[in-house]
Amino acid sequence: MTSLVLFGVFFILLLINVPIAVSIIVATLATMLLTIDTLPALTTLAQRLAVGVDSFALLAIPFFVLSGYLMGQGGIAVRLIEFAKVLVGKLPGGLAFVNIISCALFGSISGSAVAATSAVGGFMVPAMEKEGYNRPFSTAVTVTAATTGMLIPPSNILIIYSLASGGVSIAALFIAGYLPGLLVTAFLMMGAAFYIKRAGIAADSNIEVGKFWPSLFGAIPCLFLIVLIIGGIIGGLFTPTEAGAIAVLYSLVLALGVYKELSVRDLYPILLKTVGTTAIVMFLIGASASMSWLMSYEEIPQAISNSLLSVSENTIIILLIMNLILLAVGTFMDVTPAVLIFTPIFLPIAEMLNISPLHFGIMMILNLSIGLCTPPVGSVLFVGCSIGKVSISEIMKPILPLYVAMIFALALTIIFPEISEFLPKLLGLI
Amino acid sequence: GCGTDTEDETYIIRLGHQLDINHPVHKGLVFLKEELERRSNGSMSIVIYPSSQVGDEREVLELIQIGSMGMTKVSASALESFVPEMKVFSLPYLFNNQEHYWKTLNGNVGKELLAAGQPYRFKGLGYFDAGSRSFYTTKKQVVTPDDLQGQKIRVMNSQTAVSMVNTMGGAATPVSWGELYTSLQQGVVDGAENNLPSFYYSKHYEVSQYLILDEHTSIPDVIIIGTHVWEQLNAEQQKWLEESMLAATDFQRELWAESTLESLEVVKKAGVEVIEADKSVFQESVLPVYESLKGSDLEALVKQIKSLGVEQ
Amino acid sequence: MKTLSGIIPTLNKALRVLLATMMALLVLNVTWQVITRFVLPHPSSFTEELARFFLIWISLLGSAYAFHTHSHLGFDYLTKKMQSNAAVTTAKLGYVLVILFALGVLVIGGVNLTYITFLLKQESPVLGIPMGYVYLVVPISGCLFILYGVWGLIEVKDPSNLREHAL
Ligand code: NA
Ligand code: NA
Repeated sequence: MTSLVLFGVFFILLLINVPIAVSIIVATLATMLLTIDTLPALTTLAQRLAVGVDSFALLAIPFFVLSGYLMGQGGIAVRLIEFAKVLVGKLPGGLAFVNIISCALFGSISGSAVAATSAVGGFMVPAMEKEGYNRPFSTAVTVTAATTGMLIPPSNILIIYSLASGGVSIAALFIAGYLPGLLVTAFLMMGAAFYIKRAGIAADSNIEVGKFWPSLFGAIPCLFLIVLIIGGIIGGLFTPTEAGAIAVLYSLVLALGVYKELSVRDLYPILLKTVGTTAIVMFLIGASASMSWLMSYEEIPQAISNSLLSVSENTIIILLIMNLILLAVGTFMDVTPAVLIFTPIFLPIAEMLNISPLHFGIMMILNLSIGLCTPPVGSVLFVGCSIGKVSISEIMKPILPLYVAMIFALALTIIFPEISEFLPKLLGLI
Repeated sequence: GCGTDTEDETYIIRLGHQLDINHPVHKGLVFLKEELERRSNGSMSIVIYPSSQVGDEREVLELIQIGSMGMTKVSASALESFVPEMKVFSLPYLFNNQEHYWKTLNGNVGKELLAAGQPYRFKGLGYFDAGSRSFYTTKKQVVTPDDLQGQKIRVMNSQTAVSMVNTMGGAATPVSWGELYTSLQQGVVDGAENNLPSFYYSKHYEVSQYLILDEHTSIPDVIIIGTHVWEQLNAEQQKWLEESMLAATDFQRELWAESTLESLEVVKKAGVEVIEADKSVFQESVLPVYESLKGSDLEALVKQIKSLGVEQ
Repeated sequence: MKTLSGIIPTLNKALRVLLATMMALLVLNVTWQVITRFVLPHPSSFTEELARFFLIWISLLGSAYAFHTHSHLGFDYLTKKMQSNAAVTTAKLGYVLVILFALGVLVIGGVNLTYITFLLKQESPVLGIPMGYVYLVVPISGCLFILYGVWGLIEVKDPSNLREHAL
């Protein structure tokens, strides 16, 4: 009954084009009123909207969005893209691959998919548009590739899984994430290549390989930004979130002082654009937090899995059902609450099926990372669409082959546990 | 936060807390739930939401005030921002030893502190053991407070904790809990402090080299029920809950002791060097913290607690 | 209605200045957090909490403003295919729903939340400021949502300006 009200109201509101965030909250409220008194329900929702964004790690979003805009308008992105084009421009779809690798690299360092989407999408989507790619495809590539950072270490969500599973070593999880993360990256490249071929996108415009040295020279101060951020995080100067603020300052120095492509007057509209993107995404995150809260409160995920898991005793079917539940719930629930709720339910079953907790964790995160890019609720999708300025219905066509690529990678990882267990075994971590 | 399930007439109280299901504190709460079901012949029960599913400590306390949650387990330090008297537990070396600690909690002072939440819509039901907190560091061996000099130590979000570490000579550094593992690993901070089971469950021992058992604070966990729920219960129901709480306290205390020993063993095996501290040196280093209390609201309470230690 | 069309531009301008200032302060605040770890013997302890509170304010005030500029994400698949009259009615219904949400959750729920936190004297753990000030932004943004919603309801009567007013 509760799930019916929740999802029913939600879909009706979505259909008549009520903002997604408001649809989520109103559906949550309608469901809450079935069990909680009106004033406590309203007040709880008000609190959820505020505390849903009360997280230091979420600051990565405004910071990397801002630094992305500064890089885009301050002459930094142009130089980086010029250099990248010289390197891969001869390949059809070269910039799409640059985008995927940048997202994987950035996501792996920051450990956060939304941070990677904001940082890379901010300048890669406009750059790809200039080279003749359509915005929805460029955004789709950014969104999906950004999730690989949750598997390639360090990763916040793997730490959360370790706590929820009560025993899996974080060090082992970090090593186990490498191969599956790279596998997804490779499959996404294939998916992108498939789309590019079908859509008939030609090689990126006329690039002379002889331009290598001048373009490298021009890009050195910009490349140093990458060195500063990666070095600063690995060297322990600052946390990934703080790195966002440092990236803003360095971009500011380059744009205002070195390239002089921005003046202080230009900063006001850039700050406002950042606030706009941040607010849209945060409002959605706050709304999703409310819905996740209610789903936990009503124990909806438990009810769904109880009814589905009782269907069969066959191990393969149970494994399949678990993955389908994760895929389905992942479309509505954010990844952190999903991990916290499903780990205690599914892990004992997985262990009965002789799946190691290490492998199960990687499988679950890989599965849920698909949900982060799917409508109706997906924070990475939301960030990408606001940064890329595309609507959710526009992005659906180009993102489909990328979903398929991710599902292929997931299937391979499920079938071959060695993909996650090989490296930790090699290093003696398990 | 509560309600009656019409079908089988079970009175349900909803309890949210922050720890995961393997933690001894969660197991203590499950015991409390089962005890309550047994004593009430199934007419009362508790639904437990672990792992911050319904919010972190501060947020669940608010939800109790709002009325959508019924119970919680929080560290006394999280209660500080609601019930100022609770600040007393964050004072370093407040207790001489375990006996002094439990004598205080089980005695009048403990009862008064549990009642101190009433004006803020909280009724304290009892205490769970949360052990003692000690420092752990990644690079530098710490034996005396002097070794803390210049070391960036992550502390909880609490003014008392910040001033304690700074007084000892360390540099109290705010890092959010979620970023702490990698902050220790990459060197954003040089160390942190916690009780043994949390040091173990958080896996921070994987990235820390030294554990110094200085046991600077003993901050209990407090089981809270909203006054709006408590006042709805009849005398018999209140009695069941109180009795179950007493049983759960004993059960959890034993679990905690086991878990502390087990944690110590595991971290030692993992290669963490465990250092016994000369606590008297640390105690001396924090005397300025007590100096600064002179004339404050806490002074009388501290005196009362200290006197309980002298009598033995 | 005259007064409303006079108020809104002024309000927008004030809101934009406030939001841009808070965003700039947010960057400076976190930079300061990093710097103090290296130059001061005791790193600043309040910056993390302050940054989180700034984010709450920016998010909620900003989302009211984003509502005004029609920037929130939605699914326009069905409404795109609608007849213009049906589309106007649907858009109006959307505005009414947002107004009701703002009134119920942000204003009534937010006022109660703020009231409880002030009444029961909750303080923030590090800065020691009353938490009521942090939550005050919820009802404020609720009032803005309602104001912008009523304004949108008045404006959306002609099918030709629908594209702009699609939520
Ligand atoms: Na990562
Ligand atoms: Na999704």
